[in-house]
Amino acid sequence: MKGGPVYTVIFMLVISAVFTLVLSLANAYYLPQIEENELLDDRRAVLYVFELDAEGGPEEVLELFENAVVSEMLADMEIYAHLDEDEQVLAYAVPFTGAGLWGTMRGYLGITPELDRITGLVFTEHNETPGLGARIDEREYLEQFRGLEITGELAYGPAGDDRLDAITGATSTSKAVLRILNNLIDRKIAELEVVLDD
Amino acid sequence: MTERIRQVISRNIWKENQVLRQILGICSALAVTNLMTNSLVMGVGLTFVTAFSSLTISLLRNLIPHRIRMIVQTLIIASYVIFVDIFIKANMPEISKSLGPYVALIITNCIIMGRAEAYAQKNPPIPSMLDGFFAGVGYTIVLLIIAFFREFLGFGTIFGYDISFASFELWTIMVMPPAAFFLIGTLIWITSNIFAPKNTKKSETGRKG
Repeated sequence: MKGGPVYTVIFMLVISAVFTLVLSLANAYYLPQIEENELLDDRRAVLYVFELDAEGGPEEVLELFENAVVSEMLADMEIYAHLDEDEQVLAYAVPFTGAGLWGTMRGYLGITPELDRITGLVFTEHNETPGLGARIDEREYLEQFRGLEITGELAYGPAGDDRLDAITGATSTSKAVLRILNNLIDRKIAELEVVLDD
Repeated sequence: MTERIRQVISRNIWKENQVLRQILGICSALAVTNLMTNSLVMGVGLTFVTAFSSLTISLLRNLIPHRIRMIVQTLIIASYVIFVDIFIKANMPEISKSLGPYVALIITNCIIMGRAEAYAQKNPPIPSMLDGFFAGVGYTIVLLIIAFFREFLGFGTIFGYDISFASFELWTIMVMPPAAFFLIGTLIWITSNIFAPKNTKKSETGRKG
């Protein structure tokens, strides 16, 4: 009986069903929490590119976001705009997606309404190597983009000058970041410029 | 086959340490050990998965048809790993982000399947669970030792806390993968020397995992 083909098939079916069921229940139970974490992460990311305080507790972050940021559909993109008290746009957060070294990178590029200066850069999702490529999340790397004038292509320069520094040991990831950003500036930001001019 | 709990502990943590003596789980030991927090979470995750998959496999050991036992083991291990992944995502989002794809890769860690095949398959549930648990603890200890050196010398921190009294030039190489090779190699060399029979100093044939 045991070891026969019928028993084997039935055993496999039953055990697969049981484990899948348990996992589905766990997933359903934790899903709201995971989604909440993701939303909060996204809000923090947008606040970060707008140079606002993104480090507060969940309530503070959501409240600040509610008060200072609106979402707009521009040039087929859902763009966040940072408004001051007189409803004037201080900066836009443009979402981007592109191929990193190991997987898709997503994030926001903050840019002034004149589209000539970067206000901040942040990644919301990537699969880069922990300790190497994943260091693109570190402030030291991201802060380099603050206030950067957009004149031609972004490029890394030698250490010590006022251009960007890549990450040691993560050349491919560093290059991928600039490729994605240059692509974004060339295409999407150019489209945005046309839309904003109208 | 009655092994005392003390024997289970000393066997798994020291005499047959999965990383240092069996050379298993090396891939993740190289990958996540540049930060102690990541190593700890990885170790706890692996310990949990090994303990519970060993328990489950042992409970089912008389029901699992021999020919498909590996498929069943993989299924059980994968289920626990996915659970750990979901749990970390929900409760520790920051760590989930920094571990990236490595949590899912616990599935491919040879230690879990090794314990399942070598122990849980033919032992009662409670000893199997303890065996899996302490195999995981042994792995975690090794990871933390490596991570301590890498994080301390590479980032100048321990568990993310700045070690302000120690101001020295940081060793960038400690952050990068080669450092893990050097450190694991050194640890294996030390332990192999301790265990090497006194008069026969032959080099051991390596086992891969």
